[in-house]
Amino acid sequence: MRRFAGPARAVVFFTVLAALPELGLAHWVLNMLVFTLMFAVMSSAWNLPGGFAGYPSLGHVAFFGLGAYAEVLWFEHNPIQTGYEPFALLPLIGIGVAVVGLPVAALAMRTRADVFAIVTITLLFITQTLAFNLRDLTGGAQGASIPPAPFPAAGYEQPFYLVLLALLAFVMALTWACMRSKVGLSLAAVRADEDKAAGVGVHAQVVKLLAFGVSVGVTGMVGAVWAYYEGFIYPQFAVDPLITVAIVLMTFLGGRATLWGPVLGAFLLELAQQYLAYSLGGSQFYLIAYALVFLVVILLLPRGILPSTQDWLRKRRRRRAIDSASGELAFSGLAKGDQP
Amino acid sequence: MTALLEVAQVCRSFGSVWALREASFVVEPHTVTALIGPNGSGKTTLFNTVTGYLRPDAGRIRFDGHDVTRARPAALYRRGLSRTFQQARVFNQLTVLENLVVAGGFGWAQLFGRRVTRGDRDRADQLLAEFRLGDVADLYAAELSYGQRKLVEFAAVLMSTPRLVLLDEPTAGVNPVMIETMERHIRERHAAGMTFLIVEHDMNFVMRLCDPVVVLDQGREIFTGPPLAVRNNPAVLDAYLGA
Repeated sequence: MRRFAGPARAVVFFTVLAALPELGLAHWVLNMLVFTLMFAVMSSAWNLPGGFAGYPSLGHVAFFGLGAYAEVLWFEHNPIQTGYEPFALLPLIGIGVAVVGLPVAALAMRTRADVFAIVTITLLFITQTLAFNLRDLTGGAQGASIPPAPFPAAGYEQPFYLVLLALLAFVMALTWACMRSKVGLSLAAVRADEDKAAGVGVHAQVVKLLAFGVSVGVTGMVGAVWAYYEGFIYPQFAVDPLITVAIVLMTFLGGRATLWGPVLGAFLLELAQQYLAYSLGGSQFYLIAYALVFLVVILLLPRGILPSTQDWLRKRRRRRAIDSASGELAFSGLAKGDQP
Repeated sequence: MTALLEVAQVCRSFGSVWALREASFVVEPHTVTALIGPNGSGKTTLFNTVTGYLRPDAGRIRFDGHDVTRARPAALYRRGLSRTFQQARVFNQLTVLENLVVAGGFGWAQLFGRRVTRGDRDRADQLLAEFRLGDVADLYAAELSYGQRKLVEFAAVLMSTPRLVLLDEPTAGVNPVMIETMERHIRERHAAGMTFLIVEHDMNFVMRLCDPVVVLDQGREIFTGPPLAVRNNPAVLDAYLGA
């Protein structure tokens, strides 16, 4: 039965999420869910190099921006008929962004840990500066626009929501496949001790690049969906360091190198942030409340919610097993003692 | 007979300090060769250089007839040269079984296959049973004692059926029972045709197990010979005792 628990959980999760737009939710709720799904996809994608391989990229939003500008630039010159063409372009954008990301990763991944984080954050600022200054291409600070989606106002969010849900299913399926394959085993070895991993023949460079390429490709696709959803993009929002910070925090909160951790983190943090912004927005106190939520969880569950909970359950199971074994031992000792 | 490993005139410096100065020696196939020397004589640097973790400044290293002077650790491992570390290095976040599987030396085709196949499990189970680690197969390596981790590291390098195993202080920090276990496994593998190069400070262990013994001092080889000859060699005594 345990074998089917994982797939059953996924089926229930995606069925419930797919059914949500049919419940006639208010626009602001669906809008909030669209952004939550965006962050869930990006956190899950970041988790591949950041969680499984132990390479915490702080430059992922550069690829988000790349995807966003690719979408805008293409449809600046090509008419949108049905409204679904920008979605059809997503796989191409994903592959294109991954191809751009690979040489960057090959260079950046020569460094590790905090140095890698600094190298990648540099990439973020270079990309943002380019977006501001390549005016002919990006429109600079004036921004760039994509023709508005011709969807009816009543269900405007629904196509974006469903596409993002499909992207989430895609990235989670990839993560699941990775965890069950020798790619995942190799990434875990790289995260634990890369030098040692190389010394036992692990294809460290290949699996690192693979994780990074897939991750930035998916992030680029989310950027493209975001650009289409927003309609008008500016460099400071398309390449916003706060997006990077959010996806890293979400992954850490839910639990790195787990399938559900980044999704849980995204749902908790994004919804909490939106809720607190609505409740305390005028006073800006929501930022303090948001930070407090994060601090409390990290204080109580330092490895993230899922790994800490799994550890706790594991220890409890083991304690019970030891208790019951020692109980049986004591009982059998007594029984032997009773014998003449 | 062609030497399995040839180290010729290898030099390596760190800043102005020379850790290896034209170090030369050979490891013949099917031997248990010891590499000994006082602290700071360059043993671990030599290990790191031979296994591709450090690049030599000068000199040549040949393994199984091929020049491997600039080869990377992963490539050397796939050629059949594997090693353990002075401080037991295992993958703490992996289970004991996975520690063995990941060291199994899988190729490109298997990279996208199952994390642990039936074949992997059978092979790892067999080794774990030999090392009496079957009971801890599904525990995380971080949960093991230091001695157990040493054994896991040793068992893991055997997964790829290497031709030459370099053991860096296999007895350091482990209890006498564990030393006996380690010695038994080395003897069994050696009898099966495996070659060993061992850095060790426990001279009783070296004298019981190894022949020949290579002595290193100040980055160069000063003597190579059988254990008894090493014991009585004035140059070796001078290096150790400063007499």
